[in-house]
Amino acid sequence: MDTFANFLGGTAALFGDPVGVLIFFGGVVGGMLFGAIPGVSMLTLAAILLPFTAHLKPEHGIMLFSVIYCTGVYGGAITAILFNIPGAPENAPTAFDGYPMTQKGKAGKAVGAAVMCSAIGGTISCIVMMIATAPIADWAISAFGPPEIFALVFFGLAVAASVGAKTFWKGWLSIMAGLMIAVVGLDPVGGMERYDFNMPYLLAGIHFIPTILGFFAVSEIFVQAEKKATGSYKAPKISVDFPTFRELWAHKIAVVRSIIIGFFCGILPGIGATLAAFMGYNEAVRWSKDKLEFGKGKLEGVISSETANNAATGAAMIPLLALGLPGGALTAMMVGVFQMHDMEPGPLVFINSPDLVWVVFAAMFFANLSILFVGFLETKTIINLLRIPFQFLAPMILLLATVGAYAVRGLVIDVVVMFIAGVAGYFLRRSGYSVAGIVLGLILGKIGEQTFAQAMQMLHFEFSGFLQRPIALGLLIAGFLTIGGSIYGAFFRKGPKAATMS
Amino acid sequence: MGKFKTGDLVEAGLWLSLVAFLFAYSFEFDRNIEIYRYGATAWPRAILLLIAVAAIGQLLNQARHSDDSATGMFAAAADDASENTQHSSLGWYLCTFVLLAIPFVYMNLPGWIVSTNNIPEEGVARVKIITAAVLFVIYLIFAWRNHVGAILALPVFFAACLEDMGFYALAPFFIIGIMILMGERRISRMAMIMPLIYGLLLLCFVKLLYVGLPTGYVRPFYDFGNWVVALLQ
Repeated sequence: MDTFANFLGGTAALFGDPVGVLIFFGGVVGGMLFGAIPGVSMLTLAAILLPFTAHLKPEHGIMLFSVIYCTGVYGGAITAILFNIPGAPENAPTAFDGYPMTQKGKAGKAVGAAVMCSAIGGTISCIVMMIATAPIADWAISAFGPPEIFALVFFGLAVAASVGAKTFWKGWLSIMAGLMIAVVGLDPVGGMERYDFNMPYLLAGIHFIPTILGFFAVSEIFVQAEKKATGSYKAPKISVDFPTFRELWAHKIAVVRSIIIGFFCGILPGIGATLAAFMGYNEAVRWSKDKLEFGKGKLEGVISSETANNAATGAAMIPLLALGLPGGALTAMMVGVFQMHDMEPGPLVFINSPDLVWVVFAAMFFANLSILFVGFLETKTIINLLRIPFQFLAPMILLLATVGAYAVRGLVIDVVVMFIAGVAGYFLRRSGYSVAGIVLGLILGKIGEQTFAQAMQMLHFEFSGFLQRPIALGLLIAGFLTIGGSIYGAFFRKGPKAATMS
Repeated sequence: MGKFKTGDLVEAGLWLSLVAFLFAYSFEFDRNIEIYRYGATAWPRAILLLIAVAAIGQLLNQARHSDDSATGMFAAAADDASENTQHSSLGWYLCTFVLLAIPFVYMNLPGWIVSTNNIPEEGVARVKIITAAVLFVIYLIFAWRNHVGAILALPVFFAACLEDMGFYALAPFFIIGIMILMGERRISRMAMIMPLIYGLLLLCFVKLLYVGLPTGYVRPFYDFGNWVVALLQ
């Protein structure tokens, strides 16, 4: 009852203040637009706005960032579906099935499902966030130490090895290639230079944004260009047929599963929406009877990924507000907003500034709901971009990707890396490897190594320590079983039957 | 167990060579870390071991299922792979390799020419422009014979020249180049679309979002870039 009264209070405070309302709608539209423009992301908008929040009230500053977070995570799905360009890493799994749906003339259905599921996932996550911030934060933070997070990363990679590649072995090689790219730069424990080849640029590691743009957007342009050159290119059909209620209802279990996965991944500091989206997608594949249809334009793939990544947004606020631990880049910027106003996020915020907390919670709730309305309107207009002939669209996408890669750190070498990744992605795709696997390996590589090192230090370098931690042990066993099953399938079953193994 | 195909052997060979090279290079940073028993090399070496195992597993798997087109989990990658049979001859790969090498030649050759000939600083720009022009002619010769390779190499060549010649001067040529390689031949359309894409990009990113794009160092490209920036501000 207290929660509901607090929520009403937060809502009244949000909509009773004209400046607050203006900032709220600015954040909703800005997040969606920046999420949807290829080459830039909600992080770009947040970085641009960060200095200006010093002139805002603390609750307006934090509210603006939380709204951008909710709508930006959804916005990235649009470009992932229409152009195979994920707006952010958390939208990458959306492209696996969303883009093939576009090629089949079902872009409207894919975007419609993304709108619905982002709104559902985000809204439910917000409600749970409001009710359960304190108890869940206590449980997750005490139950999930480095060994559990490492085990979760291992399990995620084991499942992902089976996604998108021609064979299990190529899926595994793709993941490992991504992990090797993540090794470049300083090691996370001792700060040793690894594989820098005496190039100062490589000391900071290979940034994941140019790499993602290269592997997804640029390689896709190359693949389509080859089809144009060989005369096999088919322009995507335009459709604005949204999914029917019956179609969405048929995937209710996938939605619920993805909300649970998204919420628990989002609550873990440093993991956030990216792993949530990949895990949501992987579990959809794992439990599906039509595994072979994934990657070819299956609606359930879009639904699982988009529900999970938006479900992580509400959950990501729990460690931030309850413990002061940011879960990702955008929540880390929120810490900056707090600090600019001489505040520290953490348990004391609930005591010292309850109004701020409930304005933010209310704003996130309504931001997720607004995805439903603004998202449908936006979709009707933005889907028409597909009408542009490919020979005009291709240079636009390549230049947008160039600007996006350059804007990250202001380095031309990032643009070179992006195009090299594009060429590599083109050849790897030709040979049946999974670019999604490489990107997942790259993103989770650093987290995996860091948590492994922390876990080993914590367990006094005894691997048997994992046996005494039930959650970590369960996840490791599940990971090994997945790999074992896939290897068995690769060697002892013939042809498409192998598909059922994972 | 079927027979090993040449392509599969080459693929496995490439992975294993990469593993051998990266393993050998790992001795460069094989030093103790006081607080961490496994040091900086354990993680990459474990990954390399798994790559080697997977490469051998893939080779054995291909030999076992040599008659199957796709033995894997999902058909998406198999679809990608099956569509690309037209550009897989040795000649095509060699021609593509030459085209892709051109940007890297540009990134290294001017510096080598300047240092070996003791060219003064004011002559560096001329060396870079002449090198770029010569390499572009070579690019056109090979692009004529290999359309797909040309599409792969042009963006890399564009990125390689970006530092010296800047985004503002190169982008219009890049847009036209990509349009031509994508099959557009109508000059009127290209003349209309190129300024539209260029203008929209600059308006959105430079004028509205204040994104500083590279202006280059080499005149007259540098002067042109600064002129555009001044115009927009």
